[in-house]
Amino acid sequence: MPPRLRTTNVPCTLTCCPSVRSQCITQPSRTSRQFSQTSCQQVTLRRRKFYDWLNGPGLALKEPIPGSTNYLGAYDRYGNLVRASPGWQRRKAGEQQGQSAEQEGEEKKEEAAEGQESPDELEMAARRTEQAKKAEQAGGDALPPETVEDLRPFPLNKHFRSQPVLSEGLREAIYQRVKRDGATVSLASVEFGVSNERVGAVVRLKQMEKEWIAQGKTLAAPYSKAVLDMLPTTPYVDPNRPENKGKRPITHEPINDLPVHAATRQQLFVPVAESRHFTRVDAGKAFDNTLLPADDRIPHPELVQAERELASGLSFEERKKLAEERLAAEQARKAQEEARLKAEDAALKKVPQRRWDFVFQDFSIETVGKSERSLEGVGWRYGFPHEDRKKGHVKIPTKVEA
Amino acid sequence: MPRKPPRYHSLKKIKVRADWSRWSLYHLSQLRPPNLGARTYFQQKWSAKSDTRAYHGEHIREKKWKRRFTSSLPAVVPMDHKYLARHDGSEQAAGRGAGADAQEKTRTPQMTPYMQMTYWPMERRLDMAIWRALFASSARQARQFVVHGLVKVNGKRMRYPGYLLNPGDLFQVDSECVMFATGAPKTRTAVARQVAEEQRAARREAYDPNNSKKPSSELEALPAPTSREEPSPTELKKHLQTLMDDVEGVLGTEVKAKDKQKLRDFRSTIRKAISLWKTATADTIATLDNQFSFLRSALSTAKPEASKSSDPSTQLLSKEDTEKLKAAFDRLKEQAEYDSTWNKRDAKKPYLTPWRPRNYMSAFAFIPRYLEVNQNICAAVYLRHPVARPGLAEVPTPFSIETGQLAFNWYLRRR
Repeated sequence: MPPRLRTTNVPCTLTCCPSVRSQCITQPSRTSRQFSQTSCQQVTLRRRKFYDWLNGPGLALKEPIPGSTNYLGAYDRYGNLVRASPGWQRRKAGEQQGQSAEQEGEEKKEEAAEGQESPDELEMAARRTEQAKKAEQAGGDALPPETVEDLRPFPLNKHFRSQPVLSEGLREAIYQRVKRDGATVSLASVEFGVSNERVGAVVRLKQMEKEWIAQGKTLAAPYSKAVLDMLPTTPYVDPNRPENKGKRPITHEPINDLPVHAATRQQLFVPVAESRHFTRVDAGKAFDNTLLPADDRIPHPELVQAERELASGLSFEERKKLAEERLAAEQARKAQEEARLKAEDAALKKVPQRRWDFVFQDFSIETVGKSERSLEGVGWRYGFPHEDRKKGHVKIPTKVEA
Repeated sequence: MPRKPPRYHSLKKIKVRADWSRWSLYHLSQLRPPNLGARTYFQQKWSAKSDTRAYHGEHIREKKWKRRFTSSLPAVVPMDHKYLARHDGSEQAAGRGAGADAQEKTRTPQMTPYMQMTYWPMERRLDMAIWRALFASSARQARQFVVHGLVKVNGKRMRYPGYLLNPGDLFQVDSECVMFATGAPKTRTAVARQVAEEQRAARREAYDPNNSKKPSSELEALPAPTSREEPSPTELKKHLQTLMDDVEGVLGTEVKAKDKQKLRDFRSTIRKAISLWKTATADTIATLDNQFSFLRSALSTAKPEASKSSDPSTQLLSKEDTEKLKAAFDRLKEQAEYDSTWNKRDAKKPYLTPWRPRNYMSAFAFIPRYLEVNQNICAAVYLRHPVARPGLAEVPTPFSIETGQLAFNWYLRRR
């Protein structure tokens, strides 16, 4: 909506007379309807400024830049895209995009990050090389890759930025690796540089998508295309292609995140003899007796184990044997757990019904305890009110079984 | 839920709201760091709290939020497995007392912005997660989706917007509603309808095969007013038709049988493309333009040879050229088919068709790392709680860290 023009609804004859003017002010300037509840939308300075901004610097944010992100942090006060070369224009970007889509087949992926120390910089570097390649192919006039500032949707918040999401290709690759090749989640996580939980989620969602396709449901394809075009994405480096030989996949996120334990939030001074070999395990004990060292609390302790064996100078065969032994032990443990669950299930007496089964389980009435108020007790007890009838108890479910 | 404040996007009192409107964008651009001088600590805390609460869960009553607030803020530290394998931690204390304390410069890790994590319990709410996953254009709209029963959690309908997601929960929003929420709205005003009607009439006239000659001559006569860079589908169609005539002309002259076959293939691909022109939408035009220029250049390089000599060594179109042309046309066809099946014009839809994202969406489009979203099925998984890590806080908040700290302290004082 363009700014409304200021209408002089007060006759000039009135303005010269002070008594009448005061009357004018008490009555809001001409409203179309007497009964209207809408506040009178006069052209104020603020409103004019708002529309000036919208039609000036804000105009660039109205529509997405094809093939790039378009955040507030990428622009200066006057609405110029900071990273763009002086001759760059939005219109050209669209054309460039069309050309680069043609050449997408022969895109090359640059070597990615190793190590986990500073994943942010490495991830940014990987993306930058990626985009520089693209820009090179598209010609001299393309947008340079985004810097950290360009990915800030909130310019004031320096500690937040739009982080890349998985591209469609990478999602499909993860799904195929887990479902078709039968890789474990942790293995796929290490291979693709994607956290354990995300691998599981990708597989779940992809599975659902395939079911949708099989059922012939309509996918939200235009939405998906538009959104993935607006977001920064982590591309997939297909190792099977000849041009990607020797290239490592781009790390999506740090996979070995150690959660900060509540016990370690305090500062602690522990006097230790100089001669004592004070390790991480001891440090953990100093904070809390149950606190395990970082090696055991990270999501991929097997990587540490493998690295340790490598450092101890074991040969390849020996390491392989050890790894196989560990795998076998893990599988045995899993099988045992499964068997236990199955046995527990079989011990229950079940009476099948049309919709639900009756399940009988042995309970002791002694579980309610001496006070008869223990939470372990089963069944409703006379004179004991239901929890959800009490004040302050919320009836919103706290979990939904998958 | 408290009612919506009367001046939700007031220009006088700047409050950034949790939506994708132009007002929010303007307010974001006008946001300044808090004025800390000449104000009491209480005043600073109060304004920080009021600013942040206007964005974070403004539709939740203050008392509810105060009960939800917790002073423990989750954080993680990325570890390097190689370092963990090589060192057991004793190296950090080794030899200090013996004078061996001249070490190499250790990098100081980045500060962990805990103070931007004040509102992390808010991000656990189902409606907020839906909004963060880009399935709704505002937190209030996300809430409405939940209340109206359009959202499923782990395959079961969930009608409570205050449901706190647990790590691993999969939520799913009706895809039509997502398209409605994030797509450009239908034009409803009388003027817009009139303009659309006029455009439609013009298009109908342009597509009419009987008087196709007339508009083309008009277009040639008036090149100045139509100063668009991209040619319209009709223009493209015309170009391609002339191109096909050219091909037929070449076919008429004597060429070897093999070349003739190739040219016939070429002609059939062009014909296919022409038949698909009608379904072409605005965003395919750029691709079409490129295809066309490529085609023309390929033909112009190949054509003079063919016209001047008819000997078999110089072929009209080399093998690679035909392959390329084939590929280009296949892609073109795919694109047009994709648009005609997935993104076609449909007056019954509640949003503008063909679908395009709503205005100013790209400025707000980000997906935090604690969500994994599949846009095709409009479903997402809440992977874990948002965490702070060195240099990065995962709770999206438009305010500076000073404001965050003041807000945190406001809520801390009653604990």
